[in-house]
Amino acid sequence: MTFKLVSIFLIGAGLWACSSVNTVVVHSTAVNMTNEQKTNQQIDSMIMPYKDSLSLEMNEVIANSATNFSVKRPNSNLGNWVADGIFVNQTKTVRLTKPIICLLNVGGIRSTINKGSVTIGDMFKLMPFDNEIVWVELPVSVIPEIEEYLKKSGGEPISNAILKNGKLIFNNWNENSSSFWVITSDYLMNGGDKMNFFTKKLSVNKTGTLMRDALITEARFQTVIEEDTTIRISF
Amino acid sequence: MKRREFVQHTFLVTGGILIAGNALAFQSKKKVPKLTILHTNDTHSNIDPFPSNHAKFPNMGGVSKRFELIQKIREEEEHVLVLDAGDIFQGTPYFNKFGGVLEMKLMTAMGYDAATMGNHDFDGGMDGFLKAQKFADFPFLCANYDFSNTILKDVTNANVIFQKGKIKVGIFGIGVELQGLVPEDKFGKTIYLDPIKTANEQASILKKKGCDLIICLSHLGFEYDTDKVSDRLLAQKTKNIHLILGGHTHTFLEKPVEEKNLDNQIVLINQVGWGGVQLGRLDFEIDKVIFAKKDLIIVK
Repeated sequence: MTFKLVSIFLIGAGLWACSSVNTVVVHSTAVNMTNEQKTNQQIDSMIMPYKDSLSLEMNEVIANSATNFSVKRPNSNLGNWVADGIFVNQTKTVRLTKPIICLLNVGGIRSTINKGSVTIGDMFKLMPFDNEIVWVELPVSVIPEIEEYLKKSGGEPISNAILKNGKLIFNNWNENSSSFWVITSDYLMNGGDKMNFFTKKLSVNKTGTLMRDALITEARFQTVIEEDTTIRISF
Repeated sequence: MKRREFVQHTFLVTGGILIAGNALAFQSKKKVPKLTILHTNDTHSNIDPFPSNHAKFPNMGGVSKRFELIQKIREEEEHVLVLDAGDIFQGTPYFNKFGGVLEMKLMTAMGYDAATMGNHDFDGGMDGFLKAQKFADFPFLCANYDFSNTILKDVTNANVIFQKGKIKVGIFGIGVELQGLVPEDKFGKTIYLDPIKTANEQASILKKKGCDLIICLSHLGFEYDTDKVSDRLLAQKTKNIHLILGGHTHTFLEKPVEEKNLDNQIVLINQVGWGGVQLGRLDFEIDKVIFAKKDLIIVK
């Protein structure tokens, strides 16, 4: 209510041309939390039981990795491994009639897999979100939208199909089918990363299986994690 | 080895017209009322420090160090507020395994005074949040999430007022649009209210209640290339807010950023990255203004 009557000119450091106001100083600092700072025993003892129980589980070695895996667009060994892992996990005991692909998102793969032993903790870093695997039935007419999406995004992890010259080529295409399955995460199906083509879904099968759990199962089964560097996305 | 770094910046805040006098009176020996605001955002369940082989933040962060530092500041300063701008959950197995309970217990132990909800605080669903929130002895401020048709009805507040010595501080919380960011089944019948309109209403309410300093805890994000509502936009399109403590975009700022609000007054915006690698600190040293109950206006 009084500001409009105030004319203030700041000249140099802390000199006022008009001193009809009182001043307040705001100091701001961002304190970096480095390991030179002291820890606190009271808090450490609060964390300890949780930490110990986590360590037991997280430090378990489930496989060995033959190489370093990382994710990038349009293709990457990690993108391929994750998409294949989810696909195989979901389809190995299923008889497929419709065409089917696994389509995930680069953004959902949050870490690397490093050469050497792979632990449960590594899988949590890779997939920290508790996303569930879902099967989404889409009409064949939606394929151009998926191609367009992949082109725009620069590529996403895919399995059982490739994008060649911007066109989606299924490994198990079926001329007679008017729809196909996409194995993906509930996050993407529900509009995450703006994969809007999922709104045209015909049906959904929820699996109750977390993406991370499926990958842990597959890593255990594989024992040694090998890379597949096939080019799956090209425009 | 780097010593603890202090990035220090100074802003001036005016307190409206008083009797003409020494504007720099606060520099005299007399102790001026002071409020220390400590803040975090996007801590993302980072309870332990980052590992020593972390590419960006080796050994940094960790709740134990943050607790110790907050304790030390409390010993030095009489009036301290500790605030968090959301995304407390998700990012380490502590969340996956314990659902956020430990995060809430630790924030309570650190004496957090208020927090707002980020999009990831919905990751366990609203029932998951509710279970963890029972361990929080501080209010969650969510002015623009209408939870009345959900299980979070009456669990959160729009705003809270703290009397810190002579300084009356009003704080409200503003969240980001959940549609497209959070699976629908996790936010259910939450109604998203316009952040700018709500912020203006809240600031006005707090001003009428006599708050000297009005703070918005925001999880909107610092700024975008698009016209999506951000802290910068919020600052420009509102009035009566002095300080926006933000989150969501994991932005590290060298110093608080200034925006001009609808009344052409300065609003300070601050954010401290993510993962608890920094603790933000703002010290407001306020002179006679408070005794005179005039508006606080920030000037350069």
